[in-house]
Amino acid sequence: MITALGISALSFNGCKGGNKDKQVPDTIVTDTSTAASEPVVVSGDEELNPKVKDVTKDFPSVTATVSGGEITLTGTISRDRLPTLMQSLSALHSKKINNQLTITK
Amino acid sequence: MALQEKYAELIVAAKNGGIIDLQVREQNNVLYVDGSTSSGELKDSLWDVYNKIDPDFRAGDLMLNIDASAAAGTKAKVTTQSSNLNIRKGPGTDQEVVGKAAHGETVTVISRANELWSQVRTDSGKEGYCYSQYLTQI
Repeated sequence: MITALGISALSFNGCKGGNKDKQVPDTIVTDTSTAASEPVVVSGDEELNPKVKDVTKDFPSVTATVSGGEITLTGTISRDRLPTLMQSLSALHSKKINNQLTITK
Repeated sequence: MALQEKYAELIVAAKNGGIIDLQVREQNNVLYVDGSTSSGELKDSLWDVYNKIDPDFRAGDLMLNIDASAAAGTKAKVTTQSSNLNIRKGPGTDQEVVGKAAHGETVTVISRANELWSQVRTDSGKEGYCYSQYLTQI
């Protein structure tokens, strides 16, 4: 109990003496840059899998696999249907789409 | 930066077209372009530009996510190829079909369940979830 109090008092003092401590301004700079440019959030495989299944249901000749947040497409598709498939898959917040489909006219 | 140059024509077209909440971000060698519009035509024209720069979308270096599906509180037309649109108990093809909306029928969008599914009400009063891609805002 006494030790814990000692530690909290020490870290509190550390914060108060922030202008003497170079690590404090460094932390603030990092926070500001993160807020300015939000990183892209990628959905996990568990979240992607059922949605990818919903999208590809209307494309029986297409096989889609999900791994590491990436969607990989194999099989065949006609060129006029390809944009529809890509548009739907692009809404799912995956990391990227690897299009290895064979395109038939 | 290199990808923003490659897809410069697309980014300019998105800006000039008035895409709402347009975000252009490059991360791990993929360019992420996100935004929304009430114009399905604008969305299609951006996809045409994408297809021109990267024929058949082979490069895997762009995620173009332009949401043009009908917003909550609006009326939408069922734009399936020809068939009826399934209305399901929940947002997923594993959910029970509780009704159908005919091709060309008008439905009211109650809410957006997620990226793929909308909660709708038909004119006959049936409520459920259907696939947003087959709904076009009126």
